[in-house]
Amino acid sequence: MTNGVAEALAHRRFREIVPPLLDDAYTLAKWLCRNGADAEDIVQEAAIRALRALETTAVDVPKPWFLSIVRNAAFTWMARNRPKATTSVGDLADLDALDARLGEGSPDPEQLLIALQDGERLKRAIADLPAPLMETLVMRDVNGLSYRDIAQATEAPIGTVMSRLARARAALAKTLKADR
Amino acid sequence: MTDPDNRILQINAAIDGELDPMSALELERAIRADPALAAERERLKALREAVRRHAPREAAPRALVDRIAALSAPAALVATAQPRASASSLPTGRGRPSGWPNPRALAVAASFAVLGFAAGVGLTSLRVPDSSQAVAGGLVSDFARASIAGQPFDVASSDRHTVKPWLAGRTTVSADIVDLAAQGFPLAGGRVAVVDRIPTPTLVYRHNEHMVAVTELPLDAKGARGGEGIETIDGYHVARWAGPNLAYVAVSDMDEKTLAEFVAAFRRGPSPAAEPRRP
Repeated sequence: MTNGVAEALAHRRFREIVPPLLDDAYTLAKWLCRNGADAEDIVQEAAIRALRALETTAVDVPKPWFLSIVRNAAFTWMARNRPKATTSVGDLADLDALDARLGEGSPDPEQLLIALQDGERLKRAIADLPAPLMETLVMRDVNGLSYRDIAQATEAPIGTVMSRLARARAALAKTLKADR
Repeated sequence: MTDPDNRILQINAAIDGELDPMSALELERAIRADPALAAERERLKALREAVRRHAPREAAPRALVDRIAALSAPAALVATAQPRASASSLPTGRGRPSGWPNPRALAVAASFAVLGFAAGVGLTSLRVPDSSQAVAGGLVSDFARASIAGQPFDVASSDRHTVKPWLAGRTTVSADIVDLAAQGFPLAGGRVAVVDRIPTPTLVYRHNEHMVAVTELPLDAKGARGGEGIETIDGYHVARWAGPNLAYVAVSDMDEKTLAEFVAAFRRGPSPAAEPRRP
């Protein structure tokens, strides 16, 4: 009986919360796994998890909550289906070596502005970012989450979010200036 | 005083609107004094704008949206129930024809639905929905989703001669489109709703800031014939009625009285001023 009530409540919450967030969820998942069909599976898996979680959870701020589930579902999915591509701890340590400054060693700022016109190149550069930087950038500039929401969704301190975002943007600029 | 790396974080936070006012003032002073910082900010802004422009949010594919809706769909969607334990062991639904809830989603929906029903008996807030209730509930969810997502229709047009063929290409129901602009309900567009797994035409009319979505069902569709009249589901008003050929379910965020006026106008058909309906 209690179980059924919780499920009915979960369904009601689910219908309010999840459908409006599907575009954001799909876009995030697609960036994380780099494939539209896989992103659909990830979002569906995330939705199933969300439905279960809603039996016991009331959600104040749905967007970071659901995107966090999508992110975790994506990582689970990647670990299961593409173990080689999964981020290792080493990647995180390497991040510290990345410079957060865009301008350093760039005599020609025009070059960056020109590179930014090329959408395909920019998207490739985003896709090549290490996962922690990429998810932070996508949540900020694509999903439009606040720093605090990103911190919640990625389970990272807000200082880490700021630093990852700065590094992500710096790395993008560097890539765009380097390749041609 | 402030180290260079911290400045970069501050500039990022400033263009994201996340810097507190005191720090923002202090940063402004620093930028005025240092052209390199000013250039850095311009580059970061350009980069951010480029990311937003070239990497926009994408719309979730319709098939995915439908599958997610089916996860918590009313029972009308589900023919047979399966025990819950089977839900997690089923394979994922790749390779199926797109557009329909995959077997796993249906199994999960079924298991939830069964448990929900078992528990719903005796609870005032959880009526055991008959199929017409289920259809109305699904359409209310559609309406809420479309409103919140800001995409109330898939084809935007006030011209029924544009909307009708668009819908005809995607549904098996020949839509009955009434021009009600003269009565204060201009047509805004159309979309396809999935009712009992059948794509059905839905017309979206505007009234001031409000919308009403009319879904048209064959008379023999499951759940098409409910009680006529207006009820409230999840805060939206739902009106249903039947014509000689089709059953109609209208979902709206308008008040009940205005919705009743709309329904009356729709049932009366086009005003004499409007051109006659094509056969």
